[in-house]
Amino acid sequence: MSASLAASAGALRADSISKAFGGLKVFHDVSFTLPPAGLLGVIGPNGAGKTTMINIMSGRLPLSSGQVLLGDTRIDGRPVYANADQGLVRSFQQTATFAGSSVEDNLIAALRFAKRDRSVLERLAPLLDRFGLIECWGRHAEVLPYGLQKMLGLTMALATQPKMLLLDEPAAGLEKSERANIDAYVGFAQREFGCGILLVEHDMDLIRRLCPQVIVLDGGRLIAAGPPGEVLSRKDVIDAYLGGADEEDADAQHS
Amino acid sequence: MDNLIATGLIGISLGSQYALLALGFTLIFGILGVVNFAHGGFYVMGGYVAYYCSVVLGLPFPVAVLAATLATAALGWLFEMIILERVIEDHQATLMVTMGFYLVMATAILLLFGPESPEFSFPITGVWRAGGAYVPYANMVVIGVCLAAIVFVYWLIYRSGIGRAMRAMAEDRAVASALGMRTRALFPFAFALATGLAGLTGALVTPILALAPHVGDPVLAFSFLTVILGGLGSVAGATVAAFIVGMVEAYAAVYLGGSKGALALFVLVLLILVVRPQGLLGREVRRA
Amino acid sequence: MSNQASIRRLPQARRPALLGGYEWATLGLVGFAFAVPVLTRNPQILSQTNLILIAATAALGVYIMLRMDLMSFAVPAFMAIGGYTVAVLSLKLGVTDVILLGVAAFVMPALCAVPLGWLILRLKGVYFVLVTFVLTEIVQLLLFEATPLTGGSNGLVGMPAVTLFGIELMDNSQVLLTTAGLAFAGFTITALFTRYFRYEFTAIEKNDVLAESLGLACWRYKALAFSVAAGVSGLAGFALVNMLLTAHPTSFAPMSSVSYITYTIVGGKGAILGTLAGAALLVTATDLFALKGELSPGLFGLLIIVVTLVARGGVIGLAAKAAGRLRRASPAAPARVAPIAAVPARGVKS
Repeated sequence: MSASLAASAGALRADSISKAFGGLKVFHDVSFTLPPAGLLGVIGPNGAGKTTMINIMSGRLPLSSGQVLLGDTRIDGRPVYANADQGLVRSFQQTATFAGSSVEDNLIAALRFAKRDRSVLERLAPLLDRFGLIECWGRHAEVLPYGLQKMLGLTMALATQPKMLLLDEPAAGLEKSERANIDAYVGFAQREFGCGILLVEHDMDLIRRLCPQVIVLDGGRLIAAGPPGEVLSRKDVIDAYLGGADEEDADAQHS
Repeated sequence: MDNLIATGLIGISLGSQYALLALGFTLIFGILGVVNFAHGGFYVMGGYVAYYCSVVLGLPFPVAVLAATLATAALGWLFEMIILERVIEDHQATLMVTMGFYLVMATAILLLFGPESPEFSFPITGVWRAGGAYVPYANMVVIGVCLAAIVFVYWLIYRSGIGRAMRAMAEDRAVASALGMRTRALFPFAFALATGLAGLTGALVTPILALAPHVGDPVLAFSFLTVILGGLGSVAGATVAAFIVGMVEAYAAVYLGGSKGALALFVLVLLILVVRPQGLLGREVRRA
Repeated sequence: MSNQASIRRLPQARRPALLGGYEWATLGLVGFAFAVPVLTRNPQILSQTNLILIAATAALGVYIMLRMDLMSFAVPAFMAIGGYTVAVLSLKLGVTDVILLGVAAFVMPALCAVPLGWLILRLKGVYFVLVTFVLTEIVQLLLFEATPLTGGSNGLVGMPAVTLFGIELMDNSQVLLTTAGLAFAGFTITALFTRYFRYEFTAIEKNDVLAESLGLACWRYKALAFSVAAGVSGLAGFALVNMLLTAHPTSFAPMSSVSYITYTIVGGKGAILGTLAGAALLVTATDLFALKGELSPGLFGLLIIVVTLVARGGVIGLAAKAAGRLRRASPAAPARVAPIAAVPARGVKS
């Protein structure tokens, strides 16, 4: 996965990062690069450290060793808002909206905090329309159906016009029929905004459909990298999934 | 030198009272996640129940102390069941209802007993002297009873089944619930235990210090001080911090005078919160 | 994706006014206090109005921090800094101009709050509460100990009357005018400040983790709010000292913070009008109850418990609900859209 120097300008790079909570190693010596406007899938069984990885890349958790670089800037351990200012924005596995505020106010808040103007909303209109958020424009976020709340959260992340989006299981909790919205979202973000996307996901079909490249985490180690068709047929990857099924979800308390 | 020792014993006496108050306070926070603003109220109530039993009814002092402990525990139990339980998930609401309850308690005492300090003094008088050091017997009794109560609380927390469940709760409520503990059932018990300790302290200490409807205010402040210093929710931290606070207060009162000791303590606590928010012996800051 | 022509347009952008109905109503009521001395010379009414305005202005410090769900016990501390600043300026430096003094009473506590806010606003919920409480205790002890500056337990007495353009504001009604001016300033600052940053404050209150992930530096807004709350409290401290003509530690007792919290909560923490309503109701109630001894704390306690258990919105919340019911009952009202039922979060894996 070594990228040439020219290509790495603006890339998001994890450089042998490790994280331990107390004595518990959540992951160990993981390296990968997400090129600008690229799309990288991250898969692995429960407890593989996926959410922890997003927490670290976004700045919410400090690293134990290694470094995370955005372009040439080291960003691990910096405040989350400072990284967001640099164009590195994450989404959340659970629904994440401002309760008590309307859909419109939620989106305006995202624009305000990222110092964008309302024209970004006009650009997002096709997406908002597709998700059905325009019909709910004046409704409070917390009364929307689960799937809509989730799409609102994702759209808010996109409204900041990020360079790099870290998506934490965007399809989790969505109905099968709603999952096509994630395809549309990822496609739109890449096409219209040129976002690089790190996609952490459990839905293998989604990963196969969208990601040209994936990395596989297991027990905190990077065990495989490559195109999904190839990686997902490897024996060690299949074993990791079968063996990992009964592991405790160590992510839970840190998500 | 003698003075130094006598002051030290006063410090231990203060420290053991603070430890009892702070243990209860920190138990409530650790187990229920509640900052109990009514803690000082239970202390005052303990004092008045003991006063009523021993002076007005003429019961023996130990019986009065026991009655005070049981009465405050019972009221704590009821308060938890009837009021606190309903808002237990909302930390701001728990703060408001305990604060409101404190005001109600203080006013009720004022109505029942009037604003003046009643005539209430420790039944054992006299002074123990060793060399040139003087220590009132009353203080020694307080130290003895408080230390016994502290030992009892430690036994309860570290050796009994209930204690294990309580510690698991303080550790991580979600995990404890997931393990099938009937977490809610512990709340009134823990709260009653803590308020009973506050009542016991009040019954023992108010005849030495002072008894009046408003003496709960400084108790609240010192409980805050102690548990912040020790780390909110940490039992060992609260105990150690209580003795530190007691010692500083005793020596500062003798050698500095005025409220400089208290001032020094408050500033110390503020600094500790800033550089080490989890307190001296606390672990991670609990997100409350 | 669907073709451009079929895409629904975004609804027209609303441009909501900076100040809402509650703010205008509140400012109107506070402004009305200027007329009270003209309408009556009754010393009882004058002094009641004075007390209500001071209480309401002090409670604004609680109101501001509650925008972000932070419960502050620090109001008496900053009132003391504001009040003593004024006393020292007028006694030691001979400054009597009410505008100069007002600016000082705002700026001094606000400046003190900046480093304090930077230190303590990293603390969450309960810890913030405890620290503000400790802070108030510290200031109280300092007032007693720093005798050369504060007069210790004697306080600072014998302040000259404040002046406006050289005219002495001396008698009852003029003292009320001074208080009204300070209260009006405090309410205007609070209304503009909380409305201007309403998106930021709401976001911090509801979901600070999400707000940070979108690029909001939450602590900056908390620190700013802490500072403005301190300044407004300082104005209340000035008004109190000016009314009593002394600056004394007991005017800023730590437990008085409980009263200011009560005004805000009982009146209704959701709107600035609640703070004014709470102060007006409870200060009046205190006055009535004082006839039968010091029973008002018990009343406050009872009200806090009742409001917390059954009427979170306080008096204003209840009034708004009642008004809504009336409007719905009237036949002319437009049909309301039934809200979509909340769907419980399902299938959420951690």
